[in-house]
Amino acid sequence: MTGAAASITTFYGAPNSAAFWHWPTLLHFVLVAVAGGVALLVAYRALSGARFTWRLPALALALIVLDLGVLWGESLARWRLTHVYLFLSFQPASAIWWGAWGLAGSAALTALLALGWGPRRGWGALLLVTSSLALLYPGLVLAANAARPLWTPLLLVFMPVTGLLIAWGLALLLGQRDLGVAVGALALAGAALGGLYLAGLAAGPGGARAALEHLWHEAGVWFALALAAMLVSPALLRRYPAVAALLAVAGAVLARSLLVEIGQVMGPPF
Amino acid sequence: MPRYAMAIDLAACVGCAACAVACKLENEVPAGVDRLWIRLEERGTFPDLAMQYRPEQCLHCAEPPCVPVCPTGASHVTADGLVLVDAETCIACGACIAACPYDARYFDPRGFVGKCTFCEHRIVQGQLPACVETCPTLCRTFGDLDDPESDVSRAIRAARRVDVLKPEQGTRPKLVYLNTPARFGLAAEGALP
Repeated sequence: MTGAAASITTFYGAPNSAAFWHWPTLLHFVLVAVAGGVALLVAYRALSGARFTWRLPALALALIVLDLGVLWGESLARWRLTHVYLFLSFQPASAIWWGAWGLAGSAALTALLALGWGPRRGWGALLLVTSSLALLYPGLVLAANAARPLWTPLLLVFMPVTGLLIAWGLALLLGQRDLGVAVGALALAGAALGGLYLAGLAAGPGGARAALEHLWHEAGVWFALALAAMLVSPALLRRYPAVAALLAVAGAVLARSLLVEIGQVMGPPF
Repeated sequence: MPRYAMAIDLAACVGCAACAVACKLENEVPAGVDRLWIRLEERGTFPDLAMQYRPEQCLHCAEPPCVPVCPTGASHVTADGLVLVDAETCIACGACIAACPYDARYFDPRGFVGKCTFCEHRIVQGQLPACVETCPTLCRTFGDLDDPESDVSRAIRAARRVDVLKPEQGTRPKLVYLNTPARFGLAAEGALP
């Protein structure tokens, strides 16, 4: 070898560095947000004494079942039925363990609320806790991985905010008009947190900056568009609420999915 | 209880990959994934050129980030310090794969997460891990880190230099590299478990 200084790495065999989560997991990260967010809305309605029919908790239940179905369908262990150990173990250090209990609890409580059985406010209070767990756990899952520089602790906030934005944005589209202000606030918060996330990477150590460059190289324009969609949507809420909600939901879905997909990279080097 | 560890003398490794082949056969590792692989690094420009083979695998960390994230307890640390996966309770969620800083875990198509076990099934029978037994240059040593007379303890004591991968992760690996050529310096000394 002559000429320019070189550093070449080759392998016999290979480290297991390929992406381990694919589109079904990305879909789960969106569906769990929708399911958790709608369940939180049910909890809010139940606690505030607002009138609602069986349809809203039934919708939340259907979304939870759909989400769990996607998870089950994409799991390599689907025919081994090992998922029962999620509920036969005590693993409080695991975000997924909390998420499993959050989703299972939310499913039971939304079923009870849809059927009209038992104390509505009591179920609402419990649902507030379980649906919050379902919303919080994706951020916890990602932020726990110190070796993956794109999954920063800021995702602990970014994921639940964008999750709630997706759910309540869709609810606004379905006619829950009183959520307009909340959707606008969540969209602004999502865009601001996205900006803060990028600034945090840019101001971070070398590994974080390299990760930012990787994000930009892989999908920088799409991520910027996602943040822009969330930023612009509040301005359209009054005159074009459907367009605003669509923009906010699309931005949040895109931003979350990109962070899950591209964030799997280990670094540095990339 | 013993505290099992492995040391690999990089000055003696010739990159023959016999360890990788032995691992694949001994553990019936599926195609497309590896429990053990060899990294070949070339650096510099002729005539100032250097090359190094570095076998890599699960480091059986004393502080394994892959264990607490497991939602069923399938990922666990045994009393003798091995980091293992109980296939019977693994749900293949991938949380441990995400948490591992060394890319040492993979989805086994049979529906669980796979990784190096230091050949636990051989250890319990008093045998060495397959990679250690196969190595033709004897660059791998294995044994009880708490026994000063074990092969691994003696190899570490005799080494000019001891390194671990990614010490900044705070995982305290129990697989260490001995006598790394200076220009391939992995990390400062003192990161031993």
